[in-house]
Amino acid sequence: MAKYDYVEKAVKVSRREFLGIMGVAGAVLWTGAYAATDLVQDRNKYIKMRIAGLYKDDVKSKVRQSHNNPALREMYQKFAGKPLSPLAEELLHTRYVDRTKLV
Amino acid sequence: MKGLQPSELQGIIEINKKECKGCDACKTFCPTNAIEGKYGAVHRINNEKCVSCGQCLTNCPFGAIKDTVDRVDLVIEKLQSTKYTVVASVAPAVRVAIGEEFGMKPGTLVTEKMNGALKQAGFKLLDTNLAADNTIMEEGSELVEKIRHYILGEKTEHHLGKLPQFTSCCPAWVKYVEDNYPQIIPNLSSAKSPIMMAGPVAKTYGAKEIWQVEPEKIYMVAMMPCTAKKFEASRPEFTSAAEYWKTQGREGHYPDIDAVLTTRDLARLFKKLNIDLNTVKEYDGSDDPLSVYSGAGTIFGNTGGVMEAALRTAYYVITGKELEVLSLEPVRGLKGVKDASVTMKDAKTGKEITLRVAVAHGIKENVVPLIEQIIAGTSPYHFIEVMNCPGGCVNGGGQPINPMGTSWVEQYKAFLPW
Amino acid sequence: MKHFDPNGPRVLKHPLQSRLFHWGLILGFMPAAITGFLIWLKPLNETLMNLVMQVHIVGAAILTISCALYAIFCLDRVVAFIRLSFTWGKNDIEWMKVSGGYPQKMFLGKEIEVPPMDKVNSGQKIFGICLLLGGTFLIISGWLLYAFLPFAPKIMSYWMGFGHLYLGLFLGMFMFVHIFLGVYNWGEFKAMFGDGTQTLEEARHHNPLWVQNKIQTLQERDMVEDIDEDDDEDFDEGSLETQ
Repeated sequence: MAKYDYVEKAVKVSRREFLGIMGVAGAVLWTGAYAATDLVQDRNKYIKMRIAGLYKDDVKSKVRQSHNNPALREMYQKFAGKPLSPLAEELLHTRYVDRTKLV
Repeated sequence: MKGLQPSELQGIIEINKKECKGCDACKTFCPTNAIEGKYGAVHRINNEKCVSCGQCLTNCPFGAIKDTVDRVDLVIEKLQSTKYTVVASVAPAVRVAIGEEFGMKPGTLVTEKMNGALKQAGFKLLDTNLAADNTIMEEGSELVEKIRHYILGEKTEHHLGKLPQFTSCCPAWVKYVEDNYPQIIPNLSSAKSPIMMAGPVAKTYGAKEIWQVEPEKIYMVAMMPCTAKKFEASRPEFTSAAEYWKTQGREGHYPDIDAVLTTRDLARLFKKLNIDLNTVKEYDGSDDPLSVYSGAGTIFGNTGGVMEAALRTAYYVITGKELEVLSLEPVRGLKGVKDASVTMKDAKTGKEITLRVAVAHGIKENVVPLIEQIIAGTSPYHFIEVMNCPGGCVNGGGQPINPMGTSWVEQYKAFLPW
Repeated sequence: MKHFDPNGPRVLKHPLQSRLFHWGLILGFMPAAITGFLIWLKPLNETLMNLVMQVHIVGAAILTISCALYAIFCLDRVVAFIRLSFTWGKNDIEWMKVSGGYPQKMFLGKEIEVPPMDKVNSGQKIFGICLLLGGTFLIISGWLLYAFLPFAPKIMSYWMGFGHLYLGLFLGMFMFVHIFLGVYNWGEFKAMFGDGTQTLEEARHHNPLWVQNKIQTLQERDMVEDIDEDDDEDFDEGSLETQ
């Protein structure tokens, strides 16, 4: 056992001070947690805003369906014929590659 | 390098060894586990597995990952030379994000300002949204052919792939399939992506009918929200225009798309030319016949957008009537896998068809179950849209980096690196 | 080194809770600080850097748990520490001006007169403030950088990383200064790593104001406790009587 003759006087934390500390600690922790969960929940907000922007572009468009696009119709009329035509297959369709077989 | 065709770009995305802290944040977003390096050590990208999607790049908190392909100066050179007709094809997702590089809020729709800036810089326009409409016509017709053949039992003259049909506009998704699930290649739509249709259209129909210039003199620049498009444009098979002209007696070797700029690259190009998107003169596209697009084309940038656009046309082709309610809510939003059913009455036979469709985005977490269903033969779907990037192309690897956000759209998961 | 009579009366300077907490800090903060330097410089190969990182996480966990337990179970000592560190007077300014007499003693062998100090001298107060504020930030930012990177706003992660690095470097270096001075003051070292006691003479030399105002004999402590208990009984009796 340690032998000593003197000891520090007790550190007095009054009830008021104790409640004060707890109050401040609670407020800091709660505010921090609230802010943190808010920020984390909003992490995708920028994506949602961009998505909304494009749906807005859709709603304000004069033509809403691809098959009604006049410039596209003209392209098919004057050039490609119709979808899946031989020219369309040649220019607008493709084949894929089994890359596991590529050295 | 294994798994790559000659001329394909590799190492588009690169981790800066000096900046990397080994924090493992990038690994949580990589759809192909292409990032190597233990926790705490400097990381590196395995170029054989990498699909160049850029999700690691946009999510690195320390900006330690970069896009190594920079064509801005080359494009400016072409703009300033009198030899070329430089055509810009801008993706839908760019017009709701490029404003962010000029101080605007995310999602600000700046089509007229963007087109004004492009016009001022000297570009002609072929809006990728028009090419997206083109993709719907081709891919939608392919889907309808498959439905008529496989479901209604009619004969077909076309060489058809299988059902369910996967969209093929996302180059990261396409390379993912080619690398990891080549057995479902027959399920990929044979239609090219919108931009890869825009290239040949510009250098054939555009050259002949619209701008009246020689096809070799057209310099096609794609402005994309996507770093994987830089890979896609370098695929050796994408020289359809030059091959077409060869059959018409014109020699020449040139790719369908000459250069790809990301949204970030495009903002830099504008700034280099002293064009400020806030003050530029707006342009409604009236001098560019190929800048006309439909609402269906523009929603291609959103997860579920391709599906909605395709259904608007598929419904019309099958039933002969337009859809009354154009917005298909079940395929909208950030849920990882969304599905919907659309019932329609075939005008030709009077039979009732119910199309079951699915939309997946964020390949890392959401696409494998759908693929495994197909391999097992138990998939209930006819048409599946897949976008690599969470949220769709609007959150692509080439978009402006948003400092207050991350791409993690799923629920909280405890990532405790070790 | 001044020699104090080892046989005189002794005072308990560092009670058991404080000594245990100090051990917790050593086992936690020291590996974290040293591995922290290595993580910043990355001089080793991949496998070793990974091991270094793992040691860093374990040290950080020990540090966090030690601090949390100490705050919960020894709130009075935490309050005492904060009160001491944040109480500054003219004595402290004067002490800082002569650096507590340490450089003069170390380099010139000269002992100079130094303003009287409480339990914690001015230099230790500065260390205390830095540790309290910096250490708290290191712990919070550290756990964010470990478990929350895919979810936290990137700009926040960036600045937390920046603060974590530079505060870590600063406190890490300060830690080595602390170790050096702690060893230099051998009596203090023996107290903290031994039974927590010093001779009254030595304590009076380094911390005269503490000895003067804040300590008591064991009998005084026991009496005060008795009086406190009696007070309660007296109080009850008193209230009955006044009625």
